[in-house]
Amino acid sequence: MIKLPKQWSQVTLEQFIEFSQIDREQGAYHYNSEALSILSDEPIDVIEDLDVDELAELVNESRWCTSEPSKRYKHEVLGLTLKPFSKLTLYEYIDLDYFFSNNYITNLDKVCAILYRQTKVNEWGDEIMEPYDFDCNIRAEKFHDLPITDVYGIIHEFLKFRDNFLKTYENLFTGDLDTPLTDEEKANMDPEEIKEIEKEQTQVKWSWEQTIYGLTNGDITKSDKIGVLPLVYVFNILSMKKELDI
Amino acid sequence: MITILNREIPNQLEELTIEQFEVITEINNNQELDPIDKHLQVFAYLGIPESEFWDYDVADFVGMVKEFNSAERKEYPVVEELEIEGYIYKAQMKLTVRDTKMIEKVALRKEKGYISEMLAIMFKREDLTPTEHYTDAHIKQKAKLIRKLNAAISIPYMMFIAQKIGQQANDQATEAVEPSNA
Repeated sequence: MIKLPKQWSQVTLEQFIEFSQIDREQGAYHYNSEALSILSDEPIDVIEDLDVDELAELVNESRWCTSEPSKRYKHEVLGLTLKPFSKLTLYEYIDLDYFFSNNYITNLDKVCAILYRQTKVNEWGDEIMEPYDFDCNIRAEKFHDLPITDVYGIIHEFLKFRDNFLKTYENLFTGDLDTPLTDEEKANMDPEEIKEIEKEQTQVKWSWEQTIYGLTNGDITKSDKIGVLPLVYVFNILSMKKELDI
Repeated sequence: MITILNREIPNQLEELTIEQFEVITEINNNQELDPIDKHLQVFAYLGIPESEFWDYDVADFVGMVKEFNSAERKEYPVVEELEIEGYIYKAQMKLTVRDTKMIEKVALRKEKGYISEMLAIMFKREDLTPTEHYTDAHIKQKAKLIRKLNAAISIPYMMFIAQKIGQQANDQATEAVEPSNA
């Protein structure tokens, strides 16, 4: 008897990540059987031995998963507290930006590891958060058994924050130069233009490193000191430098 | 059999091997060919060179095509057991998820010989374990042997597969949450 969850709140973060990694290119039956194996926690062999009509019934039973999980999230999970985005440090933001640009669903466990933190009350009675000096890849495992509905909403919340942040400091960010020029595009440009664009693309590739290098005046031993500063403060300084051309 | 330009060529499924049926199906599915080219290629494959039609009027050619395609529609019996090279292979009008996944893979690859491969998935040797049965090399080898059999054997199975897969595709257009990049 295959037992399936009835709603997203019965699906763990780990299952959700696995679910999102199923290769759609291999066809609907591949997709559906893998999805049912993940959702029911049954080995794929058990699903593959079913008759196709039985599979169809199970897929019908799981139709709820064709809609997105709720965009809500908890401010506290596993005794950890969600760090306000406005208080993120430069290093935290750089890592989050990387995970979001790469694939925010498969990286959701690492995103949680960065955003949900231990807290303590300091000698002044204020609540402070643990510093970001742990390996988020290791910490990520801690979140695997959480219901996806506890944390899924932070994706949308962070994307909103990032959009606002990029708008606020848009003068500091170059355009979308991530995609290399195609041969066709190159054929329609003169060599100088190509050189210029490729130079810009190289700069984009190294933009975070370049930012830190610039802020430390080339003294990379100071990188970690810059990395722990509040993101907003760092970008205010960068804006000031740009405006005053200093 | 039908006689065209004094040559006898098969035009009934029972007169074709699965391999011939696959080639003809492939020619007919080729979107780059117009109907005349398709039939010229089918006739050439069955033994009448294209050049022999050159002196004929299009209307005469269309008549030959009509005659060639006039095979009577019939029900083909379900063959549930095959004996090939001393081995017995059995099939049922039943698909497991594993069978269907493999059939889907064959269909997505759209390679030549997909009919024999689909039959090779459905016909199983009872002395083999499921792991042995589903091995790629075993399926390919069996498909090679099946290709030489009569095309009529394949029809009930192809209809069954099409009906099962078609029915389920209509029942459940499964879309799940997309993994996304931002």
